[in-house]
Amino acid sequence: MKCKTLHNKLIFFLEGELPEKEMGLVKTHLSECGTCAAFAEEMRKTLGILEAEKSPAVNPFFYTRLKAKLENQGSEQKQVFWKPALVRVLQPAIFSILLLVGIYIGIKIGQPASTKQYTATLMHNQDIPYLNEMASETIETSLME
Amino acid sequence: MTEVEIIQKLQRGNEQAFKELVENYQKMVVNTCFGMVHNIEDSEDIAQEVFIEVFRSIHKFRAESKLSTWLYRMAVNRSLNFIRDNKKNKWFQSFEDAVQSKNAELSRITTGDSENPEFELENSQRAILLHEAIDNLPQNQKVAFTLSKYEDLSYQEISAVMDVSVSSVESLLHRAKKNLQKKLYVCYKKKCI
Ligand SMILES: [Zn+2]
Repeated sequence: MKCKTLHNKLIFFLEGELPEKEMGLVKTHLSECGTCAAFAEEMRKTLGILEAEKSPAVNPFFYTRLKAKLENQGSEQKQVFWKPALVRVLQPAIFSILLLVGIYIGIKIGQPASTKQYTATLMHNQDIPYLNEMASETIETSLME
Repeated sequence: MTEVEIIQKLQRGNEQAFKELVENYQKMVVNTCFGMVHNIEDSEDIAQEVFIEVFRSIHKFRAESKLSTWLYRMAVNRSLNFIRDNKKNKWFQSFEDAVQSKNAELSRITTGDSENPEFELENSQRAILLHEAIDNLPQNQKVAFTLSKYEDLSYQEISAVMDVSVSSVESLLHRAKKNLQKKLYVCYKKKCI
């Protein structure tokens, strides 16, 4: 058997998957060829890693973590479920409250300014009595005339 | 509880049944994911997603297929999704992160042999080489190889999980081994260990 032929069969030899006759041929070559024997040893060690990795240590917190995740996702789903209902009720309520607050603040801010203006015009009117007469005349009185 | 009992109870929302199912299959699912992603934390995360999916979709489970086949399939699919999503993120992963995660994954293999640091280092390098070689396999070859090597599944069982014929499994495994052999030979020539 040539070295190159062996390189193509080595993994199957190590796995014990070659026909009996070929298994024998590979074995003979390996006992005679140092280079191939070294490669075979390398490959055997590397593939041996698979065996070492096979039995992972069981994480004792696996189920606890899993349950926590499930419950978390469950409550998220519930939230998603009741969120629209909440939004439908709360959103208009909050908007109306905001609107009312806005109006109230508007009045509060507007009031001192308009009273000042009012007194200012009043004082102004007092200064000019002719105009004041006209201004103080109500619609009713003008209609009665 | 037998498998059938567990499933029936689980379908009725019995939590003890779920706990028992997880205990029975945790090792198998984590191990399968590890064969695919080569990182213990990631494998456990993926395995948890698998069990969450089981919990949510147990009513869809049909008794004519084996529970283990179903679990293997979910473990493989979720691992493949993880690898796909991770490839995108790798661009943004810093070098230190990459080294750190490599070290973490290696600690799994090298525990218990800390008295022999040389052996430990050699084994770590071998593990990196082997994982790289496995990751470079075409997807179907990698799945078949993982199920065969990490879980010792028969051709028949692999064919059920992958939903392909037994002869396809045979051919996938044959090609996977040839590819690994080639990769390991190139490495041996370059003396990469
Ligand atoms: Zn030779």
